[in-house]
Amino acid sequence: MLPMNSPVATPAASEDGLVCAAQRGDRSAFGLLYARYARMVHGILLSRVPYSDVDDLVQDVFLQALPRLSSLRDVSKFPGWLAAIARNRATDFHRRAKSFDELPTDTTGESNTSTLAVPPNSHSRTEAHAALDAILSLPETYRETLVLRLVEGMTGPEIAARTGLTHGSVRVNLHRGMQQLRQLLGRKAASLTGGEL
Amino acid sequence: MTKHPNDAQHEMPRISDYFWDRSGTPDPEIQRLESLLAEFRHADGPLTLPAEIAAPAPSAHVLQFSWIPRLAAAAVLLLAVAIPFFLPSTHMPALLAGPAWNIANIEGHPQIGAQSLSANQSTAKLYVGQTLTTNSSSRASLSENDLGEIQIDPDSRVRLLQSGPNHKRLQLDLGTIHAAIWAPPGQFVVDTPSAIAVDLGCAYTLQVAPDGSGTIRTTLGWVGFHLHGRDSFIPAGAMCSTQPKIGPGTPYFEDASASFREALHTFDQAGSSFDTATAALATVLAQARSRDGLTLWHLLSRTTGPARAQVYARFAALVPPPHGVTREGILQLDPHMLDLYWNALDLGEISTWRYWEQSSDPKSSPH
Repeated sequence: MLPMNSPVATPAASEDGLVCAAQRGDRSAFGLLYARYARMVHGILLSRVPYSDVDDLVQDVFLQALPRLSSLRDVSKFPGWLAAIARNRATDFHRRAKSFDELPTDTTGESNTSTLAVPPNSHSRTEAHAALDAILSLPETYRETLVLRLVEGMTGPEIAARTGLTHGSVRVNLHRGMQQLRQLLGRKAASLTGGEL
Repeated sequence: MTKHPNDAQHEMPRISDYFWDRSGTPDPEIQRLESLLAEFRHADGPLTLPAEIAAPAPSAHVLQFSWIPRLAAAAVLLLAVAIPFFLPSTHMPALLAGPAWNIANIEGHPQIGAQSLSANQSTAKLYVGQTLTTNSSSRASLSENDLGEIQIDPDSRVRLLQSGPNHKRLQLDLGTIHAAIWAPPGQFVVDTPSAIAVDLGCAYTLQVAPDGSGTIRTTLGWVGFHLHGRDSFIPAGAMCSTQPKIGPGTPYFEDASASFREALHTFDQAGSSFDTATAALATVLAQARSRDGLTLWHLLSRTTGPARAQVYARFAALVPPPHGVTREGILQLDPHMLDLYWNALDLGEISTWRYWEQSSDPKSSPH
């Protein structure tokens, strides 16, 4: 039996087998794919939509993927295919939110007006929200990779394997994204301390 | 593998090994960001499939290709089925069609996720993993046949975390719920930012403020409030507050005197000085009635040294220690004696709580 200490420790061949099994209607296999890819989908969405909506959209992405899975011819493309569905779902979310805004409906408004629904209530939470806001203000390419690394806890090689990016791209995104993040956070700290750091 | 527009093979920027794959010497800057941002991480919640697609249908693909060596097909299926048993529980793919809870729209337009219930939609379903939100002008109720009914007040947000046959769990991020539970004790749990509330056969109101603090009022039966080994039991007529990172405060009956309640509040404040806490404790002990044995029992484990001896003396004067309980044992916080003493208050059988403790997930805790 294969050692399965974590979902990403499985050889790619086994993963392809899972995709094949899921294509044939095996819900257990699809459940395993969910367990392995939910973090990636969560990170992709978190880098694009309000935090309060991310969990529900993660479910939506997998529910969209399930019936379409049989149309995926090359099972090795599953990671990039799923990532594309997640990115499209985020785009669709904003499109719908825009039309939703035009209706005089009764909503909390939280998802359209602020990134984070819960007001920060402590120094560390304020910092956490400030750090996430800073990441979310970066260019899309950098923020997705940084969210996957710093929020979801994926390693560089995992990000590459899961999203279909090359190792080189992930390194560049992490490096440049982190450079810009440092500048942003440094500026925020300076503004809070009146420039005295 | 897809070539990314930013891919620059000639440029391989130097980033620390820790930043790249968490190997090597930990990078303090990255560690700090990881720690700060962990609260936004995917929570390993289950995937919920609507009932109509949850059951695997035999596909035409499988039927057409039945000539495929059955051994190979069986191997793939065996792998898929066997793998979950080798995964840590946090990675288990809880692929639940899940018995959805019923949502009744009482007022306004509650939201399920990003979708608003329309004005003419009086009922809907809440699946595991989904969030129900009410704004200032909307209310809703949740019900489940084997559980009970939970009313969601305006400006509240709840998430359905679990709905198994014997374990049902909600997360209350913000706002107020009124729960009337008929499931057996210990089966219904509500996570809040600062404690988890365990139903022990009761009806209660639970509130969570924007700062994560909470309050519980029990109207029937009793409730356990729990955070990282700090427990409070709140019987009917009593209430208890809870603070983030501190956990449940000391419970008290709502009909206690104002000075008793104020002094207890002062005592519970983590920032109180020694002198302030000592004075507050003296007021609590002086004002305590027999009924306030509830509060004094909890104070035994929240005081030390001479203060604990004072609490015991007052408690024993108001509620005689039952057979098998000694002063020395209580001052040493002997668990068996504390349980016997709790049962002597006749507010609820402590074995119900102990059973829940043993059967619950030890990792379960609020955020």
